[in-house]
Amino acid sequence: MGALQNLFVNLALFFRESMVNIGFSQLGIEATMDLVAGIGVLAVIAISALVLIYVERKVAGFIQVRLGPNRVGPKGTCQTVADALKLVGKEDIIPDRVDKVPFMIAPILFFAPAVLAFAIIPFGENMIPIDMNIGIFYFIAVCSLSTIPIIMAGWSSNNKYSLLGAMRSLAQSLSYEIPLVFSILGVVMITGSLQMSDIVAAQSDMWFIVTQPIAFLIYLIAGAAETNRPPFDLPEGESELVAGYMTEYSGMRWALFFLAEYAHLFIVSAMATTLFLGGWHGPILPSYIWFLLKTGFMIFILIWVRWTFPRIRIDQLLSLGWKFLLPLSLLNILITGVVLYII
Amino acid sequence: MKEVVDQGIKTQEIEVNFGPHHPSTHGVFRMVLTLDGENVRKVNPHVGYLHRGIEKLAEKRTYAQCVPFTDRLDYICSMTNNLAYVQTVEQLLDLEVPTRAEYIRVIVSELQRIINHCVFWATFGNDLGSQTALMYGFRDREMILDVFEELTGSRMTYSYMRIGGVAKDISDEQLKEIERIVDYMLDEALPEYHNLITGNEIFQARTKDIGILKPETAIDYGVTGPNLRASGVEYDVRKDQSYGIYDKFDFDVPTRDKGDTYSRYIVRLEEIEQSCLIIKQALNMIPEGKVQVKRVPKRPPDGSTYSSIESPKGELGFYLVSDGSKRPYRFRVRPPTFIHLMALEEMMIGEKVADAIVILGSIDIVLGEVDR
Amino acid sequence: MYGQGLLKGLATTLKEYFGGYTTQEYPDEYPNLPDTFHGSFELDVDKCVGCTVCDRNCPNSVIDLKINRGEDKKKEIVRFKVDLTRCQFCGLCTEGCPTNALKFNQEFELATYNKEDLILNLLAEKPTQTKPKKKKEVS
Repeated sequence: MGALQNLFVNLALFFRESMVNIGFSQLGIEATMDLVAGIGVLAVIAISALVLIYVERKVAGFIQVRLGPNRVGPKGTCQTVADALKLVGKEDIIPDRVDKVPFMIAPILFFAPAVLAFAIIPFGENMIPIDMNIGIFYFIAVCSLSTIPIIMAGWSSNNKYSLLGAMRSLAQSLSYEIPLVFSILGVVMITGSLQMSDIVAAQSDMWFIVTQPIAFLIYLIAGAAETNRPPFDLPEGESELVAGYMTEYSGMRWALFFLAEYAHLFIVSAMATTLFLGGWHGPILPSYIWFLLKTGFMIFILIWVRWTFPRIRIDQLLSLGWKFLLPLSLLNILITGVVLYII
Repeated sequence: MKEVVDQGIKTQEIEVNFGPHHPSTHGVFRMVLTLDGENVRKVNPHVGYLHRGIEKLAEKRTYAQCVPFTDRLDYICSMTNNLAYVQTVEQLLDLEVPTRAEYIRVIVSELQRIINHCVFWATFGNDLGSQTALMYGFRDREMILDVFEELTGSRMTYSYMRIGGVAKDISDEQLKEIERIVDYMLDEALPEYHNLITGNEIFQARTKDIGILKPETAIDYGVTGPNLRASGVEYDVRKDQSYGIYDKFDFDVPTRDKGDTYSRYIVRLEEIEQSCLIIKQALNMIPEGKVQVKRVPKRPPDGSTYSSIESPKGELGFYLVSDGSKRPYRFRVRPPTFIHLMALEEMMIGEKVADAIVILGSIDIVLGEVDR
Repeated sequence: MYGQGLLKGLATTLKEYFGGYTTQEYPDEYPNLPDTFHGSFELDVDKCVGCTVCDRNCPNSVIDLKINRGEDKKKEIVRFKVDLTRCQFCGLCTEGCPTNALKFNQEFELATYNKEDLILNLLAEKPTQTKPKKKKEVS
């Protein structure tokens, strides 16, 4: 069990030692290790996005009394691979009257924050890519970056649907960032640290969902809104705005948007696991398995919610954010502070 | 029409084209919306993208040959279209229909009403962003389609009604199957609809007090059917100008007072319930006998006639002018949804873009009937 | 309580999640079509008496048939074509047929690569049409 428990940690140690044996310089070793970690993170993102798309479609299928993808590969498991290949092979269409430079880099910039956020996620015991002492702060900063590419995409597309979608996205991000931060603040107050490893360690005997249930709910709602998941998918609300800021995109650029959306879904779920569900803590099974199980559960809840609820309207969304979630999160902080002071 | 509040901020209005190829215009309807931010300022509906000239085509065909064309008016509910046309011709010919045929007509047209309202529920849910509703509604519709397929041979364009009866007798197994479906609709499907969508707080927030149509305005525009009843006017052709054998059945006409999208939605779901009850009564009362008149006169006498039925979408009427020949001299359809579309402006102005879609969904249009 | 409806909706979808499916895996599974289904056309030439009721009943003049009267006054059908491009599949032709010679069959895959293929020649030797192997519905 111990070997499995530290599989990836030992793997990294083994690499490091073998490089020392070959006679690499200290700088070379660090550079190689960072490169390997970077590639590893990218692989995790790509694979998780592919798997998530398959899972989403399959769950949606089961909920909607149908089968979901079932043609390519056993039980349709290769469907997303086939779709991705198709999208890569498509012609890269850039409409005539778009603002070319922002149009072209927007999908790449949308993908970047997703990759950056993976740097601080504790995947398992001692398996955190970079354990920053301002981990949470970094996460919040990186997550709010994703609004700018959406505005870029919407503005440069030169399309009214895209513009409306981008404007909605801006309003949505502005109003949900604050409850999101405040909900995390409760956890930070209990832990007294912004470091991810400290937060996970603090939950070794009590998950924060028990002490901070309201914060968890606020985080879930605000997180769904941040990642434009239904019922908060107004920026791309299909029935009114066709596809919102993605209307003019096709082929690989569209696929990047799509992929990044699922990467964001993974990050929000992973952060929920880390902050409220005890991170990688769990009996018997290796830590990274526990982490994946909890994250998978969170993802299932988000998918389940998506395929159940109708879409909310923009003014209702804003009033929910400002008039309900914000006061509630402030109240939560107050209660947490009072309780901490008494104890 | 909501009051447009001038907020004293100078903003630029934009015009957005909704349709003809837009995910939620239910076909090829186009409306040009003038938007101030997210608010609708002007609505300009454009119809005619699906015009096939059915009224003109019918003038070149005999009375019996027109039946398949009526299928294609409102393709969601072909049965009631058939019935409305056939009934008008029978009125022109002064023809008596066998009792069993009358019962079959009631059963199939009430089943058709259930189908239409299932489709309405499904697409309305989809307009609001709940795609699961779409699948559930179509799943339940499928069962009735299977019965119709066995009865008529087609799944959507039935051409089942004949002048002086119906095309084919219904078997006892089919009647049993219909009874099973009706029980399923009442016991399982409708509670599920209410649990999934009606009770949902997001749904209620999205639909209540949106797109209000006052009873006076509704009557002025000639709005009929569930849309009128949602505004509080209790008018149902089945009750007020009873046709066929509807006076033998005991049923309620569900109404609401508010006239908002939620009322229009809930009235339709309650109509499913009432249709189920009518079918149950009809299944108990259906007699044995012929389903078609032996000889139907080919040439009606000179003259004109109008007759209408309560189609699932409203009052569907046919106006026929005969010049004594085999073919109708004039074949005119009074489509309910075309008239409902005219009242769109009253409901939409002052609402949000997202609501515009909900309002359009709530009046339940089918473009085949609007453009004819 | 606010939120009750949301939970009820979630319960509904979860129930359906474990509730099986209603769709068909079409090319593998074929639908069980009833006998009355309006598919493609079939003509029993021996039964046909050449009364042309089908032609006269058709709203769109889809049926193109030619009849020669032989010396012994027996009708001989020379041409019997159905133009599926304009056919509405309303069934008025088969309903009028006094001898049930013209019938619908259950063939519903009528898409072709050429428009000309849609004009059915019902007199021609039955081409050894590769009828879809009907798999029994998996219950």
